[in-house]
Amino acid sequence: MPQPSIFPEDMRCAVLLGIDFDGASHEVGRGIAPLGQHSWGRYSARCGIPRHLEMLDRHGIHATFFVPGYDAEQHPDIVAEIARSHNEVGAHGYLHEAWELAAEEEEQLLRKTDRILQDIIGEPVRGWRSPSGRKSGGTLRVLKSLGYIYDSSDKDFDLPYRLRYGKGDDDTIIELPNNTYSLDDFPFYKFSYTPPSEVLAQWRDEFDAIYRNDRFFVLSVHPRSGWGSGTPSRTKVLSDLITYMKSHDGVHFFRAKDFAAWCVDHSDRLEEAAFL
Amino acid sequence: MNQYSWPGNRRCIGFLSVHFDAESFDLRMAAGSSLFGRYSYGRYGLRAGLPRLMGMLARRHIHATFFVPASDARRHPALVRGLVDHGHEVAARGVDLEDFARLGDKEFETLKTSRDVLADITGTMPAGFRAPGGNLSGDTLRHLGELGFLYDSSFQDADYPYRIETEQGRSIVEIPTSFALEDAPVYSARHTHERLMRIWRDEFMANYEEGVLVPLTIHLRGDIGSTRAARTAALENLLEEIQGHENIAFMTGKQLAEHTIKLGLTPEPDPLTAHLPTLKATPYRGDLSVKPI
Repeated sequence: MPQPSIFPEDMRCAVLLGIDFDGASHEVGRGIAPLGQHSWGRYSARCGIPRHLEMLDRHGIHATFFVPGYDAEQHPDIVAEIARSHNEVGAHGYLHEAWELAAEEEEQLLRKTDRILQDIIGEPVRGWRSPSGRKSGGTLRVLKSLGYIYDSSDKDFDLPYRLRYGKGDDDTIIELPNNTYSLDDFPFYKFSYTPPSEVLAQWRDEFDAIYRNDRFFVLSVHPRSGWGSGTPSRTKVLSDLITYMKSHDGVHFFRAKDFAAWCVDHSDRLEEAAFL
Repeated sequence: MNQYSWPGNRRCIGFLSVHFDAESFDLRMAAGSSLFGRYSYGRYGLRAGLPRLMGMLARRHIHATFFVPASDARRHPALVRGLVDHGHEVAARGVDLEDFARLGDKEFETLKTSRDVLADITGTMPAGFRAPGGNLSGDTLRHLGELGFLYDSSFQDADYPYRIETEQGRSIVEIPTSFALEDAPVYSARHTHERLMRIWRDEFMANYEEGVLVPLTIHLRGDIGSTRAARTAALENLLEEIQGHENIAFMTGKQLAEHTIKLGLTPEPDPLTAHLPTLKATPYRGDLSVKPI
């Protein structure tokens, strides 16, 4: 027997589209000049994000763009445009730090990126996705102190949950888990050279299974070229997938912060978990 | 980028480039006296691949841009002249597949040699350059401008050609290519030509729909290249399918560069300047790249 869903009957499936900006920060943070074959990140601001914004607008839905602070400094206009079009701007590291950080440096970078993003979009940032899935035991406490209501980094569950990071009453944050092996563009375009039309078929299968089961679909893509989804063929995959999902009853597209707010309001329906 | 338009109001433009990479490629792994067995795939490209490819391109009426390492050109001047005789463009690719990000003060001379060797053989200065492995230093574009090159084609950051200001009052055209439209990564992973053609068909259809550049990149070689009979046949089928679409044409790199200059677009700032302070303060962490478990 399937467990009763945490979602109301008319919310057959919650869909969260996360677009990780990943501009030149991805290379520069690793000490690589964004030239030649390393220029894929330059595609994000120039072509990928405008193309994704146009596509989302055509579908009348909104997504969450997770933006490294450094890329926001380099391209404040396009980040402002993301917010102006009612898409969400979330935080995604400063230089896309895919490496261990000392606690003090981590906190400083989280605060720095938060300030950069807030200054551009003129409103508080509500959520964070870890760059390359790197996160420490101390991350959430800093995020919470910045007023963030969710993190979308962990890979350990099929549903949103309350992630407890301390003993205090308020030491929890909404966790919106994703999966960067299956519902992510990077593995298919970088490793398996899967044709875009097969990636679409794969993601439709993923959606079908989720629609029948947990009803919570979190896709992570990147608007860069190379292994990302900014280019015409791969943006079309996203667009065709959205069309497919929309053809199902009760599919709701959420910005992550709106969905996290729903989770906060229905907190009693969520599992609580602690791993520290 | 909306100000870009194709010549003759074409809907879409194809750009077929060929990496000549013959013995120069094998010599990175084996001595000159040992280019046998597994180190003879470069020679395959010359002996079997090139004639087959030339025949196919003639049937398809496509002029390609061949990026030729100068050392390969020195070894095979008649083949390089043959490219020109058949209307193809010969463009520069360094001398010996150097890593241009690490040449330091040898960089300018190497670029100059690669230009001069091709000019001596073909009688025309090469207009374009593509860096081996797509690796450039912060000086490469400026050096190319100083040496009279019209364009570079090493970046992968745009849907259309554009201009980069290399120094005050001087600019170079960039003709970006695409990782998804290159044969070597896919053949290197030992995938089938059917899979590659499926990728390229998907990519082409969407690029055509949007009217952006379709930059196909192939290699001559018998291992990671497109010149074996079945691979060339598959590619010819795809090219025929592409050419069956309305209002599409193929252009060489030089034609694209000249057209881009004619459009009078404002050059973009040097791609490195804004990042230099951060790069100076950042250690190299290139080994962090995610690999399959």
